[in-house]
Amino acid sequence: MERMIDKFYKSLAKGKIYGVRCRKCGYFSFPPKAGCAACGAHKMEWKAISGEGKLLFFSSGNLPPMKFAKYHPYAYGVIELKEGPCFFTQIEGLDVSSVEAIERQNASLPMKVKAKVKKMAGMNIVVFRKA
Amino acid sequence: MAYAGSLREKPVITGVGCTKFGSVLSTPEIKGMSFQELACEAAFEAMDDAGIDPKDIDAFYIGSMVSHISHLYSYHTQMADWLGLHLKPGLHFATACSTTNTGVGLAAMGVASGKFRNVLVVGAEILSSEATDDPTVRKPLDPTTLWYWTDFGVDQAYGYHHSYDIATAYGGLPTLGYAKKYRVPMDKMDDAMCAVHRAARIHSARNKKAYIQTTLEQEAKAAGFKNITDFWRSRRNPFLAWPTRVKSALNTVDGASAYIISSKGEAKKFCRKDPISVEGFHWSSSNYPWYGKDPTDWDIDRTAFQTAMKMAGITPKDIGYLNVHDCMQIYQLILSEQAGYFRKGEAWKAFLEGRTLYNGDRPMNTSGGRHGKGHAFAASAGAEIYEAVKQMRGEAKGRQIPDEPEVSVVHNHGYGMHTAVTVLKR
Repeated sequence: MERMIDKFYKSLAKGKIYGVRCRKCGYFSFPPKAGCAACGAHKMEWKAISGEGKLLFFSSGNLPPMKFAKYHPYAYGVIELKEGPCFFTQIEGLDVSSVEAIERQNASLPMKVKAKVKKMAGMNIVVFRKA
Repeated sequence: MAYAGSLREKPVITGVGCTKFGSVLSTPEIKGMSFQELACEAAFEAMDDAGIDPKDIDAFYIGSMVSHISHLYSYHTQMADWLGLHLKPGLHFATACSTTNTGVGLAAMGVASGKFRNVLVVGAEILSSEATDDPTVRKPLDPTTLWYWTDFGVDQAYGYHHSYDIATAYGGLPTLGYAKKYRVPMDKMDDAMCAVHRAARIHSARNKKAYIQTTLEQEAKAAGFKNITDFWRSRRNPFLAWPTRVKSALNTVDGASAYIISSKGEAKKFCRKDPISVEGFHWSSSNYPWYGKDPTDWDIDRTAFQTAMKMAGITPKDIGYLNVHDCMQIYQLILSEQAGYFRKGEAWKAFLEGRTLYNGDRPMNTSGGRHGKGHAFAASAGAEIYEAVKQMRGEAKGRQIPDEPEVSVVHNHGYGMHTAVTVLKR
């Protein structure tokens, strides 16, 4: 069995953001998983994502997990990737200083965003910023 | 639609039990109780309610979620003699917060297969405090540690490590998505969420086993507010993740619930009350996130509702009482529509009109839900099965639905995400 989680995070350190495409039905999954959510097959090929997407909704919660507490408050939302899947992560560059600001910015969504790799809580992860 | 399946014979619920929900550190009715004692109190109530001799219980399934807290991962071995079920087949099972809804189907299959005549299902959870090396001493559990352990239920490969924000994912975005999809102005949406909360408090204040015993009106008045709207929008009720306020979220508590599933033939031998038939059930599992570009369109729940109702041979028009998971109260809008109890985009108005109250035309969540009754993770779904059975038997004193429901549908989410739906019939 391929060490998929390890490969995903090690690739981030090299600036590559990978998903997987099902060899049977072509369904694209992000982040990489061993099985296909569409057809159940388990033969996947690695494919880098474009990093392009649309931010659909976001807000900022007051219950961050322990490891992200030092970054609070931060914008967290759902991004529809150009390749199809939706992904939930942090979005840089948004004003979360007040509910009025969060409401105002949500009213102008969707917004084109671009992925980037960022070191947070000791790990490289995928975040997004305005394209 | 998923394969619905069927049972050769539909088993029945013969007895139910439930403790007071609250804190074993401070709530008088359960203060000082251990996991073992909470579980026994609920189980013994269910046995007495059924009128069953414990020697006729052929198996027991114990549900609990956060094993770190109680130092008890081998629940079934440690509980066998406590329950008076020494040497009986016991097991521990869990689907997180839907555990004791899932248990109905599991036990029903055990009975319908012919292997067991009567199965006891118990759910128990203590979230206020953790066990120590001295079994008479529990240490208060800080919420950060509780949620650190609870979040083990969320995509630990990727999702959790990508700045996971439970309040936004579970509350903020579904609420925002609902308002946007159905063009509900945000101030009206806030009023609707206040109405959902008000209904929960009306019910919990009428349920002696609930954690919160006051109505929203009583709390607002005690805080010096003339009306609930001003109180709802005040600093006493800040945003947890806009547009979701703190009072729209769960209260974690301690408690236990139990029920006994029997074959119809067995029930005739001892059951003094009307047995409640297990007509259908289904479960659906998904990794986080369980929704995508529409935060109100949840495949996992559509699958479970449709398949359980197909197995039961009912349609949404047959539902007389609906319980949906409400760790975030916005789910009462989204899931009642998904169940077909309300038309799409209409639930928010129904709550404002009071239609979901115990004496309304579409009663829902009459126990008080996860804010009012309180949320004892693996025990809560069983408490909602308990509530449905009480309503169907006409035993929900103080909050009884005037015409006892013929058909109840009980829905629960298990963290991370699992949906269990059970259809019961009088």
